[in-house]
Amino acid sequence: MSATRTPTDWKSDIMQKRIAGRYAAERRFKFAGLFAVVLSASFLAFLLFTMMGNGLRGFTRTEIALKIDFPASPLLLDPAAITDESLNQANLPMVTDTVAKKLLGADADALLSPTAWISIRDAIKADPKILSRTETISVPASTGLDLAAKSNGSPEMEAAAARLKQQGVLSTGFNFSFLTASDGTDPTQVGIWGAFKGSLLTMIVTLLLSFPIGVATALYLEEYARKSWWTDIIEVSINNLAAVPSIIFGLLGLSIFLNLAHLPRSAALVGGMTLALMTMPVIVIAGRNAIKSVPPSIRDAALGIGASPVQVVFQHVLPLALPGILTGTIIGMARALGETAPLLMIGMRAFIATPPGGITDPATVLPVQIFLWSDEVSKGFVEKTSAAIIVLLAFLLAMNGLAIYLRNKFETRW
Amino acid sequence: MTEEQTKLAIENPKMSARDVKVFYGDKQAIKGVSIDVGMDHVTAFIGPSGCGKSTFLRTLNRMNDTVASARVEGEITLDGENIYAASMDVVQLRARVGMVFQKPNPFPKSIYENIAYGPRIHGLAAGKADMDVIVEKSLRRAGLWEEVKDRLTESGTALSGGQQQRLCIGRAIAVEPEVILMDEPCSALDPIATAKIEELIHELRGRYAIVIVTHNMQQAARVSQRTAFFHLGDLVEYGVTSDIFTNPRQERTKDYITGRYG
Ligand SMILES: Nc1ncnc2c1ncn2[C@@H]1O[C@H](COP(=O)(O)OP(=O)(O)OP(=O)(O)O)[C@@H](O)[C@H]1O
Ligand SMILES: [Mg+2]
Repeated sequence: MSATRTPTDWKSDIMQKRIAGRYAAERRFKFAGLFAVVLSASFLAFLLFTMMGNGLRGFTRTEIALKIDFPASPLLLDPAAITDESLNQANLPMVTDTVAKKLLGADADALLSPTAWISIRDAIKADPKILSRTETISVPASTGLDLAAKSNGSPEMEAAAARLKQQGVLSTGFNFSFLTASDGTDPTQVGIWGAFKGSLLTMIVTLLLSFPIGVATALYLEEYARKSWWTDIIEVSINNLAAVPSIIFGLLGLSIFLNLAHLPRSAALVGGMTLALMTMPVIVIAGRNAIKSVPPSIRDAALGIGASPVQVVFQHVLPLALPGILTGTIIGMARALGETAPLLMIGMRAFIATPPGGITDPATVLPVQIFLWSDEVSKGFVEKTSAAIIVLLAFLLAMNGLAIYLRNKFETRW
Repeated sequence: MTEEQTKLAIENPKMSARDVKVFYGDKQAIKGVSIDVGMDHVTAFIGPSGCGKSTFLRTLNRMNDTVASARVEGEITLDGENIYAASMDVVQLRARVGMVFQKPNPFPKSIYENIAYGPRIHGLAAGKADMDVIVEKSLRRAGLWEEVKDRLTESGTALSGGQQQRLCIGRAIAVEPEVILMDEPCSALDPIATAKIEELIHELRGRYAIVIVTHNMQQAARVSQRTAFFHLGDLVEYGVTSDIFTNPRQERTKDYITGRYG
C-alpha cells in the first residue's frame, strides 16, 4: 500500500478519454432504444395501413336500385295474407330475376347477388302497401360487380359497372348488414355480428371464471399458504401453465368439458372455460407480484390497530394490488381474445349462421371467423376478412382502453 | 432481576413480562426479560442498535406473530391476563395495545379515513356525526387538527414526515387503546416535529400506558419516568429515569449513556 496518494487528476488524458467513452456509450444506448421504437412503430403502421386499405372496403356494399312495378309483375302473392311463410313460398326469386333482366339486360344474373330477392321480401314485409304500386328497392350486387364497382374487378364486370353507373342505379354505401348479420355463403350478405357476440360471450365467461379464481389463488398463495415444498410445486406448475402452448389447453377442454362433462359443443361456455384455463396462470402470476409489492408497513399499520387478517387483505392489500392485477388481466384477456387454436379443438369452427342467444348456443368467435373466411375461395371474402380483422382490433383496443381507464382510476398516489 | 429492580416492581402493573425469550429461527434475540409497565409513567427502552428493543416491544402486542420465524417463550400479561394464552383474541389485543411504528405508515387514503378506519372496524362510532367527533378529538390529541382541519379529504401520504407520524399517533389513539407502544417515533423527524411529539407524549401520559423506544438519550430523559437499558438481548438495568442517567448501577449502562459504545 502506498502511503501517499496523489489527488485524482480529472483533467488528464486518460480521464478525458474515459469520460468521452461514457458519453458515447450513453448515446449508443439511446440510439438503440430509439431504433427499436421506430422499428416496432413502423411494423404497427404497416399492419394498420394494409388492413385499412383492404378492410375499409369490406365495410361497404354495392347496391342496385331495382324499380319494380308490383301490380304488373308476375308475382303470385295474396296482399291480404302476408305471413313469413307465404312470403318465402311466393315466386319472389323468379320475379326478381324477370324484373332485373328487363332493367339490366340479359346478364342480370351475374350482376345481382343470388340472394337479392331477400331484400325485396324484407321490403314487402316491412310495408305490404308497396304491392299496389311501383317501388324502387335497393338490392345487393353480386360479388363480381361489388368488386368491380370498388375498381378491383374483371374487365367484363368493370364494363357492366360503368354501364350501370351511367344508368344511375348503382350505389356504394356503408354496409350496415356487415355489422348486424352473421356468417353466410354469399360474401355480400355475411356479417360479423354473430362472431362478435360469440367473442363477447366467450370473454365474459373467461373473465368471470379466471379473474376471481386467479385473484383468490394469488391471495391464498401470498397471504395464507405457508412456504413449503407443496407451495413450491404449485408455484412451478403455475409458471409452467402460463407457458403451455394454447392448443394443449384446447385438447384439455375437449377431453374434460366435452367428453367427460358433456357440455354443449361449439358453445361460448366451453370456449370461455377453455380460455379461462389459459388466462388464469397469467392473472395468478401478475396478482402475486402485485400483492408482493404492497409495502409490509401497510399490513403492519392495519394489524397494529386491530384489523383482522381478512380485513387487512380485502381493505388494504387487495385495493393496493388491484392496478397490478388488472394489468395482468388485460394481458391475459387480450391473449384469450385473439386465440384460435384451442377453440378449433372444441368445435367452435362450425359454420354458424345465427348469432348465439346465450352461452350454451353454438357460436364462433372473431379470430376463428377470420380464419374461416381467409380460407374461402370466393374473392369477395378477402375484404371481409380484413374488415373482420379491423373489428377484432377495435374490440381489443376498446378492451385495453377500458382496462387502462380502470387501472388509472384505482392507482394509488403515494 | 437485581434487588434494585425488584424494588421497582410496580403495584398493579398494566403489562408485565416474566422471563420472556424470543427466537428468530435458532437465533435468540431476547434472553429472558422481566419488566413491569405501569399506567402512570412513560417507559423508555434504550440500548445499542440490534439489542432487541423493537423485538421486545413487538412481543407486547404480538406483532411478532407476523414474522414466520419468530418464537416467543415466557409470560406477558395485560391486566393480569396472559396475552399468549390460546383464549386471547389477538385482534382485540392489538386494539387494546396500539403501536406507532418507526417509519410513518399512513394508509394511502384520506386523512379522515386514516383516523376513522380503526373506530369503524371496531364499531366504536354510532354514526357519521359521532365519527366526526372521534376524528376531530383524535387529531386534536395528536396535535395535528389545526394543520389539517381544512384538508381532511386529502391523502394522508401527502403530509410531511412529521405530520404523517402525528397522523399515525392519532390513528393509534382513535381506537382508545390502553397501552401505546412507540418504536423510535421521532427517528426521521426534525427538532420541531420531535418537540411536538414529545409534548404530545406528555399530554397522553396518565391516560395511556406509554412505552417508547429511542436512541436519543436526551429524549429518553425528557419524556420518560422509567428507563430500561437493553444490551445484546438482556435487560441490563431498569429504573427511575433520573437515577439511570445520573447514577447508573451497571458498568454497561454507564458506558452506553456516556457514549463509550453503542
Ligand atoms: N425478522 C427477523 N428475522 C431474523 N432476525 C431478526 C428479525 N428482526 C430482528 N432480528 C434480529 O434480532 C435482533 C434484535 O433486533 P431488533 O430489531 O429488535 O433490534 P433493535 O434493538 O430494535 O435495533 P435498532 O435500534 O437498530 O432498531 C437483531 O440481531 C436482529 O438481527
Ligand atoms: Mg428497532
